[in-house]
Amino acid sequence: MKKLIYLLLYCTIPMVAQGQDMLISKNASVAFFSSTVVEDIEATSTTASSVLDLKSKNIIFRVNNTSFQFRKKLMQEHFNENYMESDKYPYSEFKGKITDDVDLSKDGNYIVNVVGNLNVHGVTKTYQTKATLTVSQGTTTAKATFRVRIEDHKIKIPTIVFKNIAEFVDVRVSAVYQPKKP
Amino acid sequence: MMKTVNLILKSLVLFVFTSSSLPCFAQDDLEKELATTTPGHQKVTSTFKSTKLINGHSNETLYKNDFDFKVDHRFGDIAGNNGGIKQFFGLDNSTDIRIGFEYGISDHLTVGLARAKGATAVSQLYEGSLKFRLLEQTTDNQVPLAVTLFGSNTIAAVKASEDPTSATAYNKFSDRMNYVGQVILARKFNSNFSFELMPTYIHRNFTAFRDQNTLFALGAGGRMKFSKRMALVVDYFIPFRNSADKAYLEEKNAAKFYDPLGVGLEIETGGHIFHINFTNATAIEEMQLIPSTTSSWTKGQYRWGFSIARRFSFAKKEKEPK
Repeated sequence: MKKLIYLLLYCTIPMVAQGQDMLISKNASVAFFSSTVVEDIEATSTTASSVLDLKSKNIIFRVNNTSFQFRKKLMQEHFNENYMESDKYPYSEFKGKITDDVDLSKDGNYIVNVVGNLNVHGVTKTYQTKATLTVSQGTTTAKATFRVRIEDHKIKIPTIVFKNIAEFVDVRVSAVYQPKKP
Repeated sequence: MMKTVNLILKSLVLFVFTSSSLPCFAQDDLEKELATTTPGHQKVTSTFKSTKLINGHSNETLYKNDFDFKVDHRFGDIAGNNGGIKQFFGLDNSTDIRIGFEYGISDHLTVGLARAKGATAVSQLYEGSLKFRLLEQTTDNQVPLAVTLFGSNTIAAVKASEDPTSATAYNKFSDRMNYVGQVILARKFNSNFSFELMPTYIHRNFTAFRDQNTLFALGAGGRMKFSKRMALVVDYFIPFRNSADKAYLEEKNAAKFYDPLGVGLEIETGGHIFHINFTNATAIEEMQLIPSTTSSWTKGQYRWGFSIARRFSFAKKEKEPK
């Protein structure tokens, strides 16, 4: 019986600890910019979600493709229907890991390296970028920018609008995390 | 007996605890956290790509501050008595031409102005229209149908006829008014197929002797996408005529009434929408093509037509939050 109690304790402790180390953001923002001589295109989603596990340093960002807001609504329609094919690939997702050895339990600013896989339009590619983490009084903020080559994710740009859409798109992500409620 | 039950319970408890704590180390668990954030009730977009199919309207309206310029053209009969090589399969003639402008007041309300030649004696048409998106279909089928209301007023500017039995023997300005009211019920069944029904009310303030002023019709239309940018579009109208008046008019004009059917290819290039279509209707305005089509597919009285639509966005740049 004693053994069993120890075993139970052993099993439950990491669960509780894990719960506290898990940070969640449900209104993270993901924005992208495409800039050419002809046209500047930008879109933002403020309903992305992200989780950060302080212990394993795993991080996931997920955004619903239809949640990107464009200034021109027709462009938004084309983005979903012709380029992202949002009915087939509803999400874009980044699954990565902070590779630096940092202790994020203390307040401060940290610039860390993040490596992981980005899945856009059903195509996964490995990316590495620098992210800024700010820990202050229980809230953690993460910010990162990186460049995505449209062609890498098999998104076809028809020749007629080739000059309007940049080859590389700058992506900016940011999230304000709250600890996971037990 | 009690011992075995106890053991089972113990192992069950053990199993529950271990299984709930162990996967915390895996990344899958982070994903589980995200699963709860999926938004519901998403609106279905682009049921149709254009505000019009061939002869009828689609449920689509323009976005706020979008401007749409559209040219419609119908040529002469391809075959039959008035077609063939002599008329170069209809290309020598044009039965109707329409130039239209539409503007999105909001994402739900579109206003339109158009000028059409008009295919019958009732010609030189000016059309003003309002289109209101009442309901939008949602992806979770909470709202299974999209509903759009369409209303138009078409004014015939043609010189009044001296013959009092003619369709254009106008006495006063209000005689020249024609109204169309439509409820467009549409559903996008999957990413490639959409279908709509269009119960239609038409009122013409003045018509030829014994022609109906008020007429109900039912329209149906569909779009079948077969490549990323190309689709087959079809629409059809059944006008419900009073049979005695219909027989009288058919005898008097020596021409039968037929239901307008249009079949076309839709090409979308991102900003432009082209239609290349075939229809037996000679007219383009609803108030004319639904009650007054007297040409038949079976007699070779179909024509090719096209429409070119270009959309411009005047969406204002939002102020950057400081």
